[in-house]
Amino acid sequence: MSRRNHLLLLGGLAAFALLPLALKNYGVYLTTLWCSYLIAAFGLNLIVGYAGQMSLGQAAFFGIGAYAGALLMKVGLGFWLSLPLAAGICFAIGFALGFPALRVQHHYLAFATLGFNLLVYLFLRNEEWLTGGTFGLSAIPRPSLFGHALEGGLEFFYLTYATTILLALILALLLRSPWGRAFACLRDNPIRAESLGIDITRYTLLAFAIGAAFAGIGGLYFAALVQYLEPGSFNIQTSLMLLLMVIVGGAGRFFGPVLGAIIVILLPEWLRFAQNWYLAIFGFAIVALMVWLPGGLLSLPERLRAAAQR
Amino acid sequence: MTALLEIREMRKSYGAIRAVDGVSFAVDAGEVIGIIGPNGSGKTTLFNSILGQIRPSSGRVALEGEDVTGCSPLELSRRGIGRTFQSLQVFAGLSVRDNLIAAAQEREGGMLRRLFAPPDAGLGHAADAMIERFRLGHVAKLPAGSLSYGQQKLVDIAMAFMPKPRLVLLDEPCAGVNPGLVEQLLELLRELNATQGGSFIVIEHNMDFVMRLCPRIICMVEGRVLAEGAPAAIRANPAVLEAYLGN
Repeated sequence: MSRRNHLLLLGGLAAFALLPLALKNYGVYLTTLWCSYLIAAFGLNLIVGYAGQMSLGQAAFFGIGAYAGALLMKVGLGFWLSLPLAAGICFAIGFALGFPALRVQHHYLAFATLGFNLLVYLFLRNEEWLTGGTFGLSAIPRPSLFGHALEGGLEFFYLTYATTILLALILALLLRSPWGRAFACLRDNPIRAESLGIDITRYTLLAFAIGAAFAGIGGLYFAALVQYLEPGSFNIQTSLMLLLMVIVGGAGRFFGPVLGAIIVILLPEWLRFAQNWYLAIFGFAIVALMVWLPGGLLSLPERLRAAAQR
Repeated sequence: MTALLEIREMRKSYGAIRAVDGVSFAVDAGEVIGIIGPNGSGKTTLFNSILGQIRPSSGRVALEGEDVTGCSPLELSRRGIGRTFQSLQVFAGLSVRDNLIAAAQEREGGMLRRLFAPPDAGLGHAADAMIERFRLGHVAKLPAGSLSYGQQKLVDIAMAFMPKPRLVLLDEPCAGVNPGLVEQLLELLRELNATQGGSFIVIEHNMDFVMRLCPRIICMVEGRVLAEGAPAAIRANPAVLEAYLGN
């Protein structure tokens, strides 16, 4: 990254840190929500954009992280102990979900992961003894830090924001490491990768597992934000929304999900003036984007540069 | 002395069609062997059977006397066998330099060590040397998928040599490559054979190229070895001429 881009990034981070100070409660809530979804979208970008696998089941991990973390907190484990446990559970289940990916690809894999999402949704809805079923889980506590409870919306935003930056940094380091290169090989040409000694089995499973762990962490922050969980938050629609974030921003581009999450979470809010029409406008905007910019919004500068050279 | 690679009575059938029908030969360390034959004579099927891409119907592959029949491509790669494919096989989204590093980064060390390794996995110098050798310096930072066919072919072949394999199987390295580049490839392969000391098996239709590169040539027809010998002997063999040129 160039010096100019570094400065841009720091400026953007600072601006976003100051933004909630100018917002009302609902605005702070939305930006925190944006962060929690963004963490899950970062994980999905690893699976879809970098490792080239398909997943329509990311919301399942978002939900598993949320419920597992909330239940662990309910039995008395603190937020900071529940967090790695929830991430670990998602990592393990994500690893297991990677196995179908070794057998099937593309739209077949999309359906396999979609089936998994449905399974998790039904589990959350029907296993009332554990998850509260349709009644949901309520009174989920907010975390505290150094003995100070982060009850306020703004305080919790800053914790979520800091976590998002930390996780983005970890992901960036992972993608820069030889593992990141191996993930890209998996995406570009698995047959050649294998003939060069790249263990595509392991890297596929790891991509799913790490992506799932990210979703789990995002899910737990979501749980602590809304403080009430019900299965409907983790159905296939949420998976599609997360995938939309990745694709709209630009799959396989690091900052793709950042932009995608802004569009997907905030655009519907901005479009509220259009009342009943907002979903139609939103839908049309997405269709137009996919037709004219299939590489996502972040591919726009390259497209313009290529057009200028012609 | 045990041969580096020994193929014994290799057979691969698809229903009634015998794509490879009892092929046996051995490759010594440092040796360069050419395989020629008309289209459909079983050359690529033979490669794929040796390399674990497909399971042979019968026959054995031994690497330094050890049976490696049916080993996966991954396992064979770890044992030092490299290959190129008939079609271009590069990592289109990665830069040329990253393609070369990717080709060798899994050669040693465990997964965890690779996670905490520097981004170039300690292979930056080796990759730069290979880039220089293949004269790809001006495109080293570009995505491999954006290069011309000939340049991608060079990247493809350079990748196979990055892990310093003991044996490389090259499937039609000259296909679709212009005459100037063919000369460059010939020089490069001779040089790599001399410096790295690895053995090659080369499938190729460019007769001039094979005759100049390979001291020993195997001619396959209908899944069987029709003739085997030095270039001059192969060129003079009436059966080879008939198979290639028709009666």
